[in-house]
Amino acid sequence: MYGFEIIQELASVLSGNEVIVSSNGNISRQVYHYCPQPQIYLRGSMGLPVSVGLGLALARPETQILIILGDGNLLMGLGSLSTTSYVRPSNLKILILDNGVYATTGLQNTTSGTLNYPALLDGFGLSNIVPILRNDSIEDIKDKIQIWLHSPELSVLPALVDAKAPTLSNIPLHPEEISALQRGSND
Amino acid sequence: MINPAEFLDFLGEKGFSFASGVPCSYFSRMINEFETHQESITYIPATREDEAVGIASGVAFGGSRAFVIMQNSGYATIGDALTSLAQLYKLPMLLVISWRGLEPDRDFPEHSLMGDVTEDTLRGYQVPYWELTDEGWQQTIELALTKMEESSRPVALLVKQGVL
Ligand SMILES: Cc1ncc(C[n+]2csc(CCOP(=O)(O)OP(=O)(O)O)c2C)c(N)n1
Repeated sequence: MYGFEIIQELASVLSGNEVIVSSNGNISRQVYHYCPQPQIYLRGSMGLPVSVGLGLALARPETQILIILGDGNLLMGLGSLSTTSYVRPSNLKILILDNGVYATTGLQNTTSGTLNYPALLDGFGLSNIVPILRNDSIEDIKDKIQIWLHSPELSVLPALVDAKAPTLSNIPLHPEEISALQRGSND
Repeated sequence: MINPAEFLDFLGEKGFSFASGVPCSYFSRMINEFETHQESITYIPATREDEAVGIASGVAFGGSRAFVIMQNSGYATIGDALTSLAQLYKLPMLLVISWRGLEPDRDFPEHSLMGDVTEDTLRGYQVPYWELTDEGWQQTIELALTKMEESSRPVALLVKQGVL
């Protein structure tokens, strides 16, 4: 399964009241094109989606916050897993789309191939769902997404995915508009 | 010296309900005071200063306000968090930065060069800043916050040894 297909699966089961924070590059584009709008599409700040999602989850405790990030982003901001585990907001869920590469910049390898996600996340004290594997059945994938999404506590779902990304047009919103749209939903 | 409890009370009154950052010894008294201010200000200890700017950005996306404490050595690590996140998305926050590497730090060469270029890097990244001093500290903060709200961007306070 490709990362964008997981995003499409997720999009089909969202209530519409969640706020998604997506990591820069392909993943933000895919979230823009496949999920309800508006969300917080990060265009830069590689390594910071978990931190942004953590701050947002604290400021909006009544809202379910979903972070979707790539393995390159995860590794660049690995320490933020510790901070998040320490703060533990129950309205925060993290989905890692690990395609093993920096797909956005031309499919160069990341170092994520050596990671053992259950051990890594257990080590951070983060409750985690059994990882989605590349050859999981669609039913298994849907189940794991449901368990993750409806977890009553902070929860992480790692997904090992294939790297191909569809060609999608650039996000037409200026970042200032992305912020303004969030301000609208804060009121 | 500014009383750190009064400093936190003042920022709380100005609407800051969150703070994050990485400690500097200059801020140890203030960080201790967070314990007595838990009701009004939630402090999130970060692992890196760019992470703290990320957290403050998330808080701002959610319509609340956070300030971020860091050494100037930490300021040296937040360039991308500023330019491609907080400044780009117009997310207001107050950076409280210790100004290491000046005269009292002559035995700490690790701070010297950063001490020399601190103001240049603030100007270079277009972050408006004010030096916080004992005298008139409330007015200085008010000036900084007026700029922060008007520009909807990060602004900074530079804090020398013994001020907080
Ligand atoms: C600090 C920084 N370094 C490098 C880049 C260039 N860059 C943009 S997207 C990206 C890859 C992100 O990788 P990942 O999170 O795994 O997502 P994927 O592209 O695989 O979907 C890189 C390296 C950047 N934007 N910022």
